[in-house]
Amino acid sequence: MRRLSRRRMVGVLVALSGLLLLVCGIGLATGPSAVGVADVLRILLNPGDGALDPALRDIVLRVRLPRVLLGGLVGAGLASAGAVFQALLRNPLADPYVLGVSGGAALAGISVLALGGGAAVTGASVPTAAFLGGLLATALLYWVSGGRHGRSPTGLLLTGVVFNAFASAGIVFLASIAGFFEGSRIFLWLIGHLSAVEVAAAWVVALSVALGLATAIVLARSLNLLALGDETAAHLGVPVESHRRWLLLATSLMVGAAVAVSGLIGFVGLIVPHTLRLIVGSDHRLLIPAAALSGAGFLVLCDTLARSVLAGRELPVGAVTALLGGPLFIYLLRRAQARGSLT
Amino acid sequence: MKGLRERQNGKQRRDGPTSRPFAAFETVGCFSTRPRRAEGRRTPRALVLLGIFGLVAMRAAASDPSALDREGARASRLVSLNPSLSAILLRLGAADSLVGIDDYTARVLPELADRPQVGGLFDPSLEAVVALAPDRVLMVAGVDQEAHAARLEQLGLTVEIYANARFDEVLENIERLGRLVGRTGAARRRIDEIHAVRRAVAQVTRSRAQPATVAVIDRDPLFVVGAETFLDEMLETVGARNLSRSLGAGYPRGSLEWLIAARPELILDMTPSSPGGVAFWSRWPSLPAVAADRVLTLEARRLSMPGPDLDVALRRLAIHVHGAEIARSIDLALDTLRSAPDTLRSGGDGAEPRTPPAILEPGP
Repeated sequence: MRRLSRRRMVGVLVALSGLLLLVCGIGLATGPSAVGVADVLRILLNPGDGALDPALRDIVLRVRLPRVLLGGLVGAGLASAGAVFQALLRNPLADPYVLGVSGGAALAGISVLALGGGAAVTGASVPTAAFLGGLLATALLYWVSGGRHGRSPTGLLLTGVVFNAFASAGIVFLASIAGFFEGSRIFLWLIGHLSAVEVAAAWVVALSVALGLATAIVLARSLNLLALGDETAAHLGVPVESHRRWLLLATSLMVGAAVAVSGLIGFVGLIVPHTLRLIVGSDHRLLIPAAALSGAGFLVLCDTLARSVLAGRELPVGAVTALLGGPLFIYLLRRAQARGSLT
Repeated sequence: MKGLRERQNGKQRRDGPTSRPFAAFETVGCFSTRPRRAEGRRTPRALVLLGIFGLVAMRAAASDPSALDREGARASRLVSLNPSLSAILLRLGAADSLVGIDDYTARVLPELADRPQVGGLFDPSLEAVVALAPDRVLMVAGVDQEAHAARLEQLGLTVEIYANARFDEVLENIERLGRLVGRTGAARRRIDEIHAVRRAVAQVTRSRAQPATVAVIDRDPLFVVGAETFLDEMLETVGARNLSRSLGAGYPRGSLEWLIAARPELILDMTPSSPGGVAFWSRWPSLPAVAADRVLTLEARRLSMPGPDLDVALRRLAIHVHGAEIARSIDLALDTLRSAPDTLRSGGDGAEPRTPPAILEPGP
């Protein structure tokens, strides 16, 4: 592990924050309608200006801004949760889905979509159910994976994989008995999208991501040691079981909130932490906040593409994250292998 | 497969996966790669209405000895894998010939719920279909359905493929099914009535304002009625300018930003089983439709079935776009047209001209 100096940490985080701001600016200034940078600046600087076209104001303040904010929050939550999971389970393939947290959230949300009837799908019932489903899945996972000798990462991982398979089967079952329109909504939910976002939802996600991220950053030093193994971490004074529980709770809070508002957006939790490990190293004191900033920027960028590339039509953002993230990750991996910085 | 495609009303599919990059998604999302109807569960009121229509039609057929053609039916054991085809058979008084239906038909047409069900629209059980020993299996054109059709043909069954994306294709289906079950008279009368109402509605709405309209199939995520669909043609007939044509054919997924920038004067929200349409759209107060209180939430099942009651749907749509008082004008126009029956047909063959009157062409 590369030694982390305060100067390097600040430098990386400032650079990533600058990049995130730039991407958010691009996201606000880009879309299918002819609302450019000048219009966006005018509206942001003086939103109450009566001379402004109300349609432009709606587009910037009520369509683009909520999406950029929510995309950033969801991306930050998924990427930092991925970084925590990979260390906690000591498995490079771990991401927010592998433990079944998002599977539980999706199963609960889709249950309401498929069975709840008309009134249920309009309000906050689907996101609420998904959020609670994610938390319930974590509690269940923690309880089931426990034994007389405590919880091992392998036990957690295997229980998560089994639970995820169970949740997937449940989702397939619900999709097959759902009506025509419910079925198409379920499909879009499984890909992930950020279309008609309500600002109220952004507050809930912001609070969940802030709490989860703060917990993960506070416990980042423990995470560095947990990544070396439970026994080593315990010898070095880490209360393994307690910190693992807090980290699981923090990640499930972030993932549950993200899945609740955007469905299952894949790849962000896997690709962003790995890419950053190749660039900034594996010290979680830097990796976790860097993953949050990069995940936010990555998802805002993908969502900007999703709503801009086909004039007037929209792609599901989950499809864009996979299309863009996959090749980018393979490129970085091959470059690292060629330089010999990856063994 | 070649023979199969040739039977699709003699037409090749216009769109394919290669021409529409989003095709795979749309197919799974239940909107065929080919412009096709939007479906939804019927509400009890719609079901009652349809049930009444069905019962009346069946009674009429039973009491009218000429209802069945002299040469009789060409097929008597049918399995229908699409609710619009089942609805046509029901309306023509040929429900008895349906020995099997798909699950979705059973949900939207409760009159047929007692028929054996053979699986979903997109995943019918081939074994269940074969077990019913039908002399025809009826399905609607689409990528998934074609694959099933090929398997059914390999199993020795006769499959008929129908297209129902466009208005005229639905009328063709009524005619074809009428011939198949030996009820050409009933089919002809139904088609003539639809032609008459279409002509009357077009006549009456011709001189009225043509509001810039977006017809929403589902609001979140946003799907709209695009070009080359029977709903687009119906909008055109009633004098509503369909702004979503610019997004392409079928039922494209639109973006909210596009919709706000398009400034629709009228939003017809047909999101099924989902109240709250007016509240949803009022989140964007700059929309002219919101400012003018012209966001209408409609029951999708009453409009979006490409079945035998397009005349009822057209009349209803005209009322939504122009107000209830237009119903009287439509009735008067219908009376006039009926008093001069030749005007109901173009070229004497009973076919509605594919190109609508010039006045109904969409604006810029």
